[in-house]
Amino acid sequence: MAKSDLDNANPTVLSVSQLPSRNLAKGHVRKGPDSKYDHILFPKQWWAGSSLNTDPSVWTSDEDEDDDLTLATEEPIDEQEIYDLLSTISDPEHPVTLGQIAVVRLDDIHLSPSPAERLDPNTLTNVEVDLTPTVNHCSLATVIGLAVRVRLENALPPNYRIIVRMKDGSHAQDDQVNKQLGDKERVAAALENDTLKGIIEKMLETCV
Amino acid sequence: MSSFKDWALQYVLSDDETAQSEIAKKAAKEIENTRASSASVGSWAASIQPWITITKQDDDQSDDDDDDSGTGDIIARAKALGFLADTLEALDKSLLRPEQVIRLVGFFGAMFSYDHKAGITASAKALRQLHAMKGFKPAVGVKMIEDVCKLKEDFKLQTAATRFEIYELFLSLIQDQSVNNELQDKYGTSSGFIVEILQLCQNERDPRNLMLWFKLLPIFLTEYSTSDEVTEEIFKAFSAYFPITLRNSASPIGITADDLKNAVRACFASHYKVAKLAFPFLIGKLDQGDAVTVSVKLDILKTIKACIEQYDNPQTSIVPHINKIWNSLKYEVRNGEVKETIDATLDVLRAIANRLDGTSTQKFDVSLLKNYIDTVVDDCRDDLANPTYTKQAGLLLMTVITTNIRAYTLESAAFVDIIRKNLRLPKSPSHTKDLLLLLNSTLKSRADLFKNRKQGHPEDEEAFKTEPSDHLVALYHDVYLPIWTGKSEETTPEVLKQVVQGLASLATQQTLRPDGQISLLVSRSVCSEICSLLTHTLTKGLALSQNDNSTDAAVEDEAVLALQAVVATYTDGYAELVERAKAEIEKRDWTSPTKYTLNALRDILSRLAFIGCSRIPLNVALDGESPKTFKPLQHFLKLATTLHDLFPLSPLPTSEKESLANSYIISALHGGILHFRDACFEKFEPKVLEAYSGSDRNWLEEFKGLSKDWLHQLQREDGSSEVVIEEDDPEVYREFLRICLFIVRHLYREAAYGKQAPWSERVFAQAANLAALVVRSLDENLQKSCNLAQNAFNFFSPENLSPSGPSSIAPFRKLLILGILQGLRPAAMAELYAPQGIAETFICDTSRMATVLLAVGEIRGTICAVLANKYKGGQSTFDPESETMKRVLNFWGEQIKTATTTDDTDPAIFEVYNTVAMHTLAGACARQDKNVLALVPILHEAIASPGPNGAIVARTIGGLVKTNELLSPENHAVVKRFYKQWAYTHFAKPLYDLALPTGDEDTAFAAGRYTTAILSLVSNCPFEVYQEDLSHLVRLLITALNNSSVSGDITQPQVATSLEVLVEILANEPEALKGHLKAIITAGMKTYEEAAKNTSKGNVARALAAVRKLTLQLLGAIPKKFEERHLLAYALPMQRMLATASGDKSREARKVALLARENWAKVV
Repeated sequence: MAKSDLDNANPTVLSVSQLPSRNLAKGHVRKGPDSKYDHILFPKQWWAGSSLNTDPSVWTSDEDEDDDLTLATEEPIDEQEIYDLLSTISDPEHPVTLGQIAVVRLDDIHLSPSPAERLDPNTLTNVEVDLTPTVNHCSLATVIGLAVRVRLENALPPNYRIIVRMKDGSHAQDDQVNKQLGDKERVAAALENDTLKGIIEKMLETCV
Repeated sequence: MSSFKDWALQYVLSDDETAQSEIAKKAAKEIENTRASSASVGSWAASIQPWITITKQDDDQSDDDDDDSGTGDIIARAKALGFLADTLEALDKSLLRPEQVIRLVGFFGAMFSYDHKAGITASAKALRQLHAMKGFKPAVGVKMIEDVCKLKEDFKLQTAATRFEIYELFLSLIQDQSVNNELQDKYGTSSGFIVEILQLCQNERDPRNLMLWFKLLPIFLTEYSTSDEVTEEIFKAFSAYFPITLRNSASPIGITADDLKNAVRACFASHYKVAKLAFPFLIGKLDQGDAVTVSVKLDILKTIKACIEQYDNPQTSIVPHINKIWNSLKYEVRNGEVKETIDATLDVLRAIANRLDGTSTQKFDVSLLKNYIDTVVDDCRDDLANPTYTKQAGLLLMTVITTNIRAYTLESAAFVDIIRKNLRLPKSPSHTKDLLLLLNSTLKSRADLFKNRKQGHPEDEEAFKTEPSDHLVALYHDVYLPIWTGKSEETTPEVLKQVVQGLASLATQQTLRPDGQISLLVSRSVCSEICSLLTHTLTKGLALSQNDNSTDAAVEDEAVLALQAVVATYTDGYAELVERAKAEIEKRDWTSPTKYTLNALRDILSRLAFIGCSRIPLNVALDGESPKTFKPLQHFLKLATTLHDLFPLSPLPTSEKESLANSYIISALHGGILHFRDACFEKFEPKVLEAYSGSDRNWLEEFKGLSKDWLHQLQREDGSSEVVIEEDDPEVYREFLRICLFIVRHLYREAAYGKQAPWSERVFAQAANLAALVVRSLDENLQKSCNLAQNAFNFFSPENLSPSGPSSIAPFRKLLILGILQGLRPAAMAELYAPQGIAETFICDTSRMATVLLAVGEIRGTICAVLANKYKGGQSTFDPESETMKRVLNFWGEQIKTATTTDDTDPAIFEVYNTVAMHTLAGACARQDKNVLALVPILHEAIASPGPNGAIVARTIGGLVKTNELLSPENHAVVKRFYKQWAYTHFAKPLYDLALPTGDEDTAFAAGRYTTAILSLVSNCPFEVYQEDLSHLVRLLITALNNSSVSGDITQPQVATSLEVLVEILANEPEALKGHLKAIITAGMKTYEEAAKNTSKGNVARALAAVRKLTLQLLGAIPKKFEERHLLAYALPMQRMLATASGDKSREARKVALLARENWAKVV
């Protein structure tokens, strides 16, 4: 596609480090010049050797840094996790991700009931994702919406209901686009289209 | 004499090159035998008569009727001439007399006039041989050139190989000084022969020939005095090829485009007389604008640089062109975008400055350089005020000014002044950043110039003695400090980082005093202020609360690097820093600190260690002060003594968390040792350090005479009583190790005999890790002479004081033993293995085992593993009968036997026994000790025994082959390469048959236990070890999975183990699972569902999560390994299950489920 054909030839691109991430919130990871020997000086396992016992309580280590523990903690699916699923989708026009051009924003992802209220993982849950196109006449809004939908349907368990919309006022024809994205029949029909399917597969290639 | 004729005939008829050269050699021999009598040479030359005569007729004919009827004869004729050429090649070069040479030259030279078809290759070759003859006269050389030039237009028609011969001939003649003289004599400056050669060879296109041609052309320029017209012709001859490229060819010729480029470049740079042509030509090419590609641009710039560097007489060859070059090149930087071209351009500018300065032996008049720099400054000054061009203009200026010392001393003050003025009124934060970057780079370049001051002209070094430096000294108060203190919203972290870098650069600048002594450029007070500014940045974290500390981590890290540089030269700075930090730390109460404060403590301590110890300080005097005694270890000592004074921060901790502060002190000390060791390794060769890592003295004996405060004394003193170590003396490493050992000794005595309260398991472990590092660094002799093996057990107190403290802490003290033992070399431990010696007593001591925690058992066991591993018995050891290890292993064999055949031993207690036993065995296993084999039947019986203790053995037997960091070469352990294979063969293999279910109730129980044992072993072995037993193993794994998923008891460790092994097999040899896919998938799905249903908490939850993750890993990887047709049947239920699994409770498991889902989605 030539530059002049693009809907928005020059969108603002954020660097990956600026995007919201779980690791940032998690806290202090030392990476200064003096941290070269942290693995020796602050080892996870206090003294060298190998335990015969699989019972981890025998083996002393720092609780908050233990990988096994993060594995065992119950962490319900939250907005950040949905964001992580979506932010790595590629933009159909530019070689950047939806997170980088802020089409997907953490603040515009809503779960109801919220993760804290959801005690039983099998509760029926609504996921609402509002997308913000980079320009309000973006002709690819529907394609992006479709890709987001496909990604979530492939990644979330069956008890999640997915609603993908254009954010209010962010798109000249948001009503029409929303209607299209909300209509199951039309979504299914769109996915029968090989060209469209190809574009979406391409967009989802960068998902990790 | 007829033999020549025969040979000629043979030669002409032969097609084989070796045969031909044999024949030529025979002919040469014959001529040599007759001492080149006229008769023999004559008949040799006449031997090719038959072909030559016919030729003439042929040629006439073909001229007339213009057909190719003579082709066959042309080939024969060429071969005949080749015979002569080859003979000449083989002939003794001193044999032919001058008149014979002349005659032969006449003959071959004539060929260039009338035998263009057949005679050229051989003639050129023959002429080259004749040139090498002793009888060759220079005048003949001139004739040769003239003859060859008669080829004229037909030169182009020759094959590339023929032309190659001619180029070779030219090259050998032109390079010959006597021929050269003759040519000059004959032609003078009009150099007609050059013009003829140029005409002859124009339009050459063959790369190999071009390489020769480009070698030839510079010789015309350098060796012959040519008129301007001829010079221009020569210039045209090579410049026509510029820029040269090479088409990719299918058959490589061994010449690259770069070879050609370099060859053309060498032509340009060969002589300054082409300067007036070369520079306008090259600049013209460069100014073509967008039409020039990056690689061409680079070629041009490199060529210009080569010319500038290589032309003699820069005053006449370079100076007239400087303005033109500068005017064209500045835009390459100012508006350039490609880094390579910018760099190449700066290289050119630098080359100019260097040429104008002079050489290391002769300096040119200063006005040359000054005019050049003035031009640059005039053009760039205004750009510095424009944020768009600041960086580029600054780069240009800085490059030119810091090229050499003279340029620097001439112009740096003015340059710095311009930057400073602009910094007062910056247009934006990024403008400030760019200006600071320039300033910092200038300082950095100054430091580099200073470092290399001895490499240039002696005047350069002198220049530093009188260098004006006020403008630099003033930078601190005028530039850096105002930006730092005037921090506002505008001051971005990027700007602050630059300020920090600048401060470091400024404080480390060195200068020469008039007496030749090196000293720091800025005064003590400025250094001290800079230090305290940076120190404050680091200690702030401790003083402020989490919310108030807004300093960017990147700025703090930059401050760490800055301080590291500063204290290496301004050595008093480190003591100031450490004292400040110490005061801050002591201000706080460390009994129950918050996590934030603890992290702040860890950070500041770790930074202190890095700043002071990661570089060996330099011996630089302070400005205006006389030099002090140099102590390379002073920072390390300061750190060690301060940490010593701080310990313990938390004197009465009640939990591991509260003792963290104490452990951070030890880890800072440990960090200091690691960093200093690195610094030594960076400065000295590893080989050198190896020689300095030992001593034959007993340092521990020497320590006895020293007071406890020895380190403090060392640190306070000016080094007067100690060994004086110079800056570059590797002795510093030995002294460092000695101090380290002192520290270890002190720590151990404190830990064992001092107050026990501050010492928790974690603190003990830190101290032990530190000791291990120090002990590992000592060489074998020193380990022996200090008797470290014994000291490990009495904690450096041979007086055998009894360790104090409540026994609840005492068990963890065993970690200290481990610390020393793990670093010792086997030879240094030999004494321990005497019969009934320390090792045996320790390993077989079961006295208090019934009361200890399993964790303590692990420590004990690990020590036993090290002891069992480093054992050596036999002649001339302390265990001449090699009985000790045998007894020890038998002892534990008996213990296991008793515990599993009787019901006397409580499983909780047996767990501890078993831990020690297994570790001891593991240590011996790694060494492949044959005595281990005696225990095989005992262990196998124990596994099958009905009591619960048997289950413990079965579950833990994998410990024998479990990877253990301590059993590694770094820890001087004795590890046989195939020991896992060996242990597997003896312990696991015999069990396979017994583990198979037979349906019989009695054997079913034992079979289950055997399965557990096999899984325990297999999961700790690499895949290759159990590869050949896959068919048995896979059946066992599936049975194990099925059994537990059916019974719902999936928290059994063997479930996770089976899954792990299956994942491993799937990755390495999926074929082995092909027949069992259905069973694996069913069992996997069932296991996952069971695990997902289970809502247990705590450790069970952890085990369950691991099982879920592993199951998903296993199931998810299947589609990648098998064709769809094998999987289709399972796709639907699997996709359903994975959809549910992507809502797993654990995030880690969800991630795996997502991958699995993607993989299975492709199965349709």
